[in-house]
Amino acid sequence: MNITQLPFIKEIYGFLGHDLTATVTGILIILVFVPLNSAFLVWVERKVAGHIQLRPGPMEVGPHGILQTLIDAVKLMSKEMITPKLADKFLFWLAPIIIIIPAIVCFVVIPFSPLMQVREMNVGILLIFSFSSITVLSILMGGWASNNKYALIGAVRAVAQNVAYEIPLLLSTMSIIIMTNSFKMSEITAAQSPVWFIVYQPVAAIIFFISTTAETNRAPFDLVEAESELVSGFHTEYTGMRFALFFLAEYTNMFIAASMGAVLFFGGWHGPFFPGLIWFVVKVYILIFVIIWVRWTFPRLRFDQLMNFAWKFMIPVALINLMITAIVLKVL
Amino acid sequence: MLNIKTIDDASINERVYQLNLGPQHPSTHGVLHLLLKLDGEVVIAADPIVGYSHRGHEKMAENRIWEQFLPNTSRIDYLSGLIYNQGYCMAVEKLCGIEVPERAEYIRVITSELNRISSHLLGIMAFVMDIGAFTPFLYGWDDREHVLDLLERVTGSRLTYCYNRFGGVRNDIDQEFCDGTRRFIDRLRGRFKDYHNLITENIIFIKRTRGVGIITEETALEFGVTGPSLRGSGVNYDVRKNEPYSVYPEFDFEIPVRKEGDVMARYQVRMAEMEQSMNIIEQALDNLPEGPVRSHVPRFIDPPAGDIYFAFESARGAVGYYIVSDGTRVPYRIKVRTPSFSNLFVLTRVLPGNFIADAIATLGSIDVVVPEIDR
Amino acid sequence: MRSLSGLKEYIKEILTGSKSLVIGMGITFKRLFMPIVTVQYPRRKLTMTPNFRGHIEAIYFDDTKSHHCVACGLCVRTCPSHVIKVQGEKEKAGGRKYGQKYYIDFTKCSLCGLCVDVCPEKTLTFSHEFELAYLSRWDGVIDIMRRLEAVTK
Repeated sequence: MNITQLPFIKEIYGFLGHDLTATVTGILIILVFVPLNSAFLVWVERKVAGHIQLRPGPMEVGPHGILQTLIDAVKLMSKEMITPKLADKFLFWLAPIIIIIPAIVCFVVIPFSPLMQVREMNVGILLIFSFSSITVLSILMGGWASNNKYALIGAVRAVAQNVAYEIPLLLSTMSIIIMTNSFKMSEITAAQSPVWFIVYQPVAAIIFFISTTAETNRAPFDLVEAESELVSGFHTEYTGMRFALFFLAEYTNMFIAASMGAVLFFGGWHGPFFPGLIWFVVKVYILIFVIIWVRWTFPRLRFDQLMNFAWKFMIPVALINLMITAIVLKVL
Repeated sequence: MLNIKTIDDASINERVYQLNLGPQHPSTHGVLHLLLKLDGEVVIAADPIVGYSHRGHEKMAENRIWEQFLPNTSRIDYLSGLIYNQGYCMAVEKLCGIEVPERAEYIRVITSELNRISSHLLGIMAFVMDIGAFTPFLYGWDDREHVLDLLERVTGSRLTYCYNRFGGVRNDIDQEFCDGTRRFIDRLRGRFKDYHNLITENIIFIKRTRGVGIITEETALEFGVTGPSLRGSGVNYDVRKNEPYSVYPEFDFEIPVRKEGDVMARYQVRMAEMEQSMNIIEQALDNLPEGPVRSHVPRFIDPPAGDIYFAFESARGAVGYYIVSDGTRVPYRIKVRTPSFSNLFVLTRVLPGNFIADAIATLGSIDVVVPEIDR
Repeated sequence: MRSLSGLKEYIKEILTGSKSLVIGMGITFKRLFMPIVTVQYPRRKLTMTPNFRGHIEAIYFDDTKSHHCVACGLCVRTCPSHVIKVQGEKEKAGGRKYGQKYYIDFTKCSLCGLCVDVCPEKTLTFSHEFELAYLSRWDGVIDIMRRLEAVTK
């Protein structure tokens, strides 16, 4: 308790109490971590994409281009934030804000290590799902308010795609939840002590990863922002810092999706020698690498094929998996 | 689905909206303006609007002497620059009755087939990029870099060549070029296996391209489609076999033909054509005769009065030069019949009834080079 | 039974499809560890092949300690882009002309090589220079005789 004896912090600690101080500190750390993480992930994606394509990626700014994202952020901040003349001004302004706030809120329940979790909620997983569904609303707002046909097509596709892929996502997560009887992320992590859940539920893992790739609008499901068809999808008309917020939100969503995957299937912070935090971060970044790797390998699906894939393949398989899990758990 | 086929009918319906797949777009190959009328995601009518890159090549031909038109020919279709160059020289040689030495003909064939390979690599990989896979594009460019290095060793330029002259070619090839070409052919054959595994066998690619954008045989013949788009619809027509020119009758190669007429068929035809080009190059390198590379031609030629139509096969289809000469040093009229012009307008018949995504895939698979359309 | 064979087709498609996807991912993973093919230009430069077409320059001949241009004007007439301007002078009446100024506007030259081919004295050739960036348009109009003098001094 020595840090709380410092003069300024002692007053706040005395005023707020233990729980609330921990929460406020956690939130401040998250607010610092999210932009840094997104900047790092942008650099990682560009380097991995470059090396897959036999080229070096950014190399000029900083050693091996590590400061590239910082300079890009500075450049984006210096650009003019244009609002199209006939756009719906309020919704146009609101859409980038609404896409980033739920992403940051979802960080509150992620267990980085046995002690480092900002707030432990009884319905942790449900919170993450409900907040990540708000991004659909933001995409629709951005697409509609832009007064641009390309943006509208992209937004409409996004709504259908996100709604369709929520269902296999929830069903595959249910298979894990009925195994542990709890929605709390920390309890699910603790229950994977000897054996990780991916050994018990490989099918659910595959369905989960495909669904989160679709939910975060990454390739091969990135029709929403398909660069070759609709010039940039729903964020065609956004410039400057607003575009940067959309970008930031995409990589933050990727991080949340990967950390959910790590918690649900790969044992969270469990691991032999190193402290829990390092194992968690390693697992999350390996999963993010897999997502990036998939993006740069496959072409994208056509829209009706995507919906067919969700309704005719993913949902039946997820349902069958859930039924088999329930039957096995009842029998054993 | 609405049963409306023409633009005039479509403007009556209220749900239909107009989308400009405009001149500035990441995936129209050049400045092509495609005016689509859409109902939701289904295309009702498609209308290409051309003319954004009209540079006046045919008018320039009327103000220059015969030799001065040579750089222009490379720039009409910059991806098959050597083939157009060769075609123009052969047309004028046929008009004047100039004999070309045997070695020059073989060198022309080797360089033209290398150019055809590089054009197909770019065309196929740009089409795959439109479908969404970004990496095969760069793998194709890596192979294309080797072709461009080989051609640079011979001609000095990488994209717009001015290598053929009346009576032959400008300079000779050396042994290093022949060895380099053979190594490149072996390397490319190994890379084809990678391309097959990464693209052709990929289930997503198959689902995107099979049964999509079907051009029937009647439609193709009606619109005057030539090249791989025609051979993908079942018609066995290639200018190199049907109206042979240069030394092509001496080589043993096949013309790949597929019956389905969809996007996958055109893609497979192009891949197989690259294979056949490699066969031609190997046979030409094996049988390369000795001799001069340019016959003696006056510095500024004086063709007789008359006209000639000369057809040859570029990477995109059958090209024709219609040259009218009135006996002076300046041509009277040079008209270029380019294959992309006819191939493009097939879209007005093929696109209605498809989704936007299929429209992009079909446009990519026809392999249009827009500067060729509006010379 | 038709529904059962339909189910078998469905499962077979899923299995072959997944196998093709995994093979595709293997190819890109392998490429991740192969060396890059890009030459990072300002730090590493490539040497050009002997035939490379850089901008036009005059060849140095030993007998005149300079070029062989006689200002005949054939290259001026042959150039498709009309970028060449030559001026010559005669030392004595009835003698040969000797080229004094030779301007090429390299902002318009298309490197076709017709001037090099048509020269009767074979005094022109392609150099290997490609780093041609200027600050004003008139810097692109170069007198290649002066350039030859500067290079051979």
